[in-house]
Amino acid sequence: MGVRVKTGHTLLAATLGLGMAFGAQAGKYPDITSLPDLKINAAKAELGKRLFFDRRISGDAGIACSDCHKPENAYAHPDALSPGYPGNGHFRNSPSVINAAHKKVWMHDGRLGTNLNDVTREMLTEDYIMNMDMRIMQERAKQDPKYVQMFKDAGYGEPSNGSIRKAIPEYLKTLTSVNAPIDTGKMSASAKRGQKLFKGKAGCIQCHNGPLATDGKAYNTGVPENFDIFLDPMNHHAFIAFAMFQGIEDYMNLKRDPGYYNITMDAADTGKFVTPSLRELKYSAPYMHNGMVKSLYDVVAFYNRGGGKDSRKDSRLKPLKLGKQDIKDLVAFLESMSGDPLTSGQHVWKDPYPAEYPVIENWTQVKN
Amino acid sequence: MSNVIQTPTLLAAAITTALLAGCAGQATSESTAAPAAEKSMAAATMAMAGPAPLAPLGEPPIPPDNLQSPAKIELGKILFFDPRLGGDASTGCSTCHEPDQGWAWAEDFSRGYPGTVHWRNSQTIINSAYFPRQFWAGSASSNESQARGAARGGVAGNGEADIMEARLRVIPEYVERFREAFGTEWPIVRDAWRAIASFERTLVQRDTPLDKYLLGDKSALDAEQLKGKEIFEGKGGCIQCHNGAITSDQDFHNIGIPPNKRWEEDGLAQITFRFEQYAKGQTQEGYRKAKSDWGFYYRSKNAWDKGKFRTAPLRYLKYTAPYMHNGVFYTLEEVVDFYDRGGFDEDGRTTLFKENKSSLIKPLGLTDDEKGALVAFLESMSGEEMLMDKPAMPEYAPLFTKAELEAAQEAK
Repeated sequence: MGVRVKTGHTLLAATLGLGMAFGAQAGKYPDITSLPDLKINAAKAELGKRLFFDRRISGDAGIACSDCHKPENAYAHPDALSPGYPGNGHFRNSPSVINAAHKKVWMHDGRLGTNLNDVTREMLTEDYIMNMDMRIMQERAKQDPKYVQMFKDAGYGEPSNGSIRKAIPEYLKTLTSVNAPIDTGKMSASAKRGQKLFKGKAGCIQCHNGPLATDGKAYNTGVPENFDIFLDPMNHHAFIAFAMFQGIEDYMNLKRDPGYYNITMDAADTGKFVTPSLRELKYSAPYMHNGMVKSLYDVVAFYNRGGGKDSRKDSRLKPLKLGKQDIKDLVAFLESMSGDPLTSGQHVWKDPYPAEYPVIENWTQVKN
Repeated sequence: MSNVIQTPTLLAAAITTALLAGCAGQATSESTAAPAAEKSMAAATMAMAGPAPLAPLGEPPIPPDNLQSPAKIELGKILFFDPRLGGDASTGCSTCHEPDQGWAWAEDFSRGYPGTVHWRNSQTIINSAYFPRQFWAGSASSNESQARGAARGGVAGNGEADIMEARLRVIPEYVERFREAFGTEWPIVRDAWRAIASFERTLVQRDTPLDKYLLGDKSALDAEQLKGKEIFEGKGGCIQCHNGAITSDQDFHNIGIPPNKRWEEDGLAQITFRFEQYAKGQTQEGYRKAKSDWGFYYRSKNAWDKGKFRTAPLRYLKYTAPYMHNGVFYTLEEVVDFYDRGGFDEDGRTTLFKENKSSLIKPLGLTDDEKGALVAFLESMSGEEMLMDKPAMPEYAPLFTKAELEAAQEAK
């Protein structure tokens, strides 16, 4: 242990009895290092960018990806619960999609673990999200000469729903943290103190580790339920549709979000949610899977209390006994994992979309 | 080709009529399907002689697995008008079947889901209870399956079963009404289609001038209409397909309807056109080259079915303009002129599948008086306009109280 313990804070943590086990494990968790560079095809990403901000790829042409993943909110949404498709609400917080291309598991309950193509398909077609019949989506794209050209330039040939589901993930690759102090090394003294707490006394690193500051696994931290899921029928019926479709029993009487239970159907996993990445938190409030925590200060205070109340709560969550300055330092460190806002034209499609679909001239003579 | 096509047509007409009689009997006597089938075979054999005559409309057939009840009908009425039975809670049955637009939609193409336009004409709900085939290519065989299909179609309701069912469950008045009508703890979306079908089975019109006339009131049709009837059954040849009590043989014919020019002029319509080729399982080649609605072909995949559509019933048509599967004609006069020219519109346009055009369609040589009489007779198949006020929509309400949620939180 002596070899691994490098800082006074860690020693302090050990002496405070926050788990000899943890102390023994210090150093076994991968550091939060810079994200690897991704190879990006510029033409495909540019096409994906136009699609991401285009409302015409939802069923009633009412919402775009960017309506729930807003650039000014770090590509998350400022409401506790995502707005969802017109005609219904939602039951979870819209997460930032910055760095989504670096993830191995997506959705708060971790139900998607393959690739962003599948995630894109899920978002487009799910009835309470974008409710898009992808065959109509494809034909809409084919009716827009700008898309016809962009698909061609990207090497996709004519627009198709398959290439839409490739182009959006290509664009998402461009949404990678830029100039985050943790990557540049330009961290404040407070952030540096917070980093030590993060790895030491506060124990955050146990789950929030690696380049994304997440281990991609699901835990129960006792986040309180968001009653608005159930008290607002618009949200509740989206939740019911979800639970019904996922095959969760007794879904009409559910008064909580079952979380990772959805994947395993093991009661022990009830209330577990996948460790979120801590990158780009600065502009993506509120926090947690259901948006129940409003600020980073509140997040740290939540863990300082030892998390919330749940009989299945992870046993590692214990009161941390952090002082006010410790909390501030941890917040400073969390903020140091946020980079520049990705709100310029480099990442945001700013040109207007046509108000109407132009007619294909000479229609009877040309091939569809 | 004429014999090949004609004989099955007549046969189908006879079967249809006989089945209707059989089903109508079933509703009251609870007889099984077997005797009805026997009756239809017998009737079919007899009918080889000619098309079924026009007949007064009887009671609508009621399927034994969805009997009428006041609770079900009332529930169906509310659901029919409820836009929440669609994808974004904006598009319900009445959105495209407006009572004051003939329980149809008064444009060539039905309005479609927001962000789209449909590609076929919206048909009236009135008397749909009698039709063993629904939709223009006959893809539904009951009001129940029609309602389900329309609510889910991408350019119609665009609703998925789970979200629509979930919506019904957070509307307490529906929970009560479904329980009363179907005995279920929670609404099941399939029962919504059943309730809507039950409501639609009340939307029948059996007191048209034609019905009154056929039931013995010889004053119900005036001289001009009687002249029109003679043309309908004779020189016009209309009765060859528009026959029996429902004025439709329920078979599929290519009568020469030209493509709707809107596909040449409207980008949104072009999108839907291609989507339909895609969604209906066209071949790659068919998708590329289709420039009109291939109709019954999409279901049969037989080349000889290209451009065929189910014979439209003629009842209530006074209120349901425009006409034809793609709504190309806005008046009955245009319709009559089209048939008089042998299946050509005023610009000489006809079906793109001339090889499939029915041999029954040929120039009729009608005089202006005869055309006027025919229109007058067609109008006698409609009674008074059937209007209806939209019922009040029941509201969403939470299923749980805050206290219940707090208790559940405490128990975690």
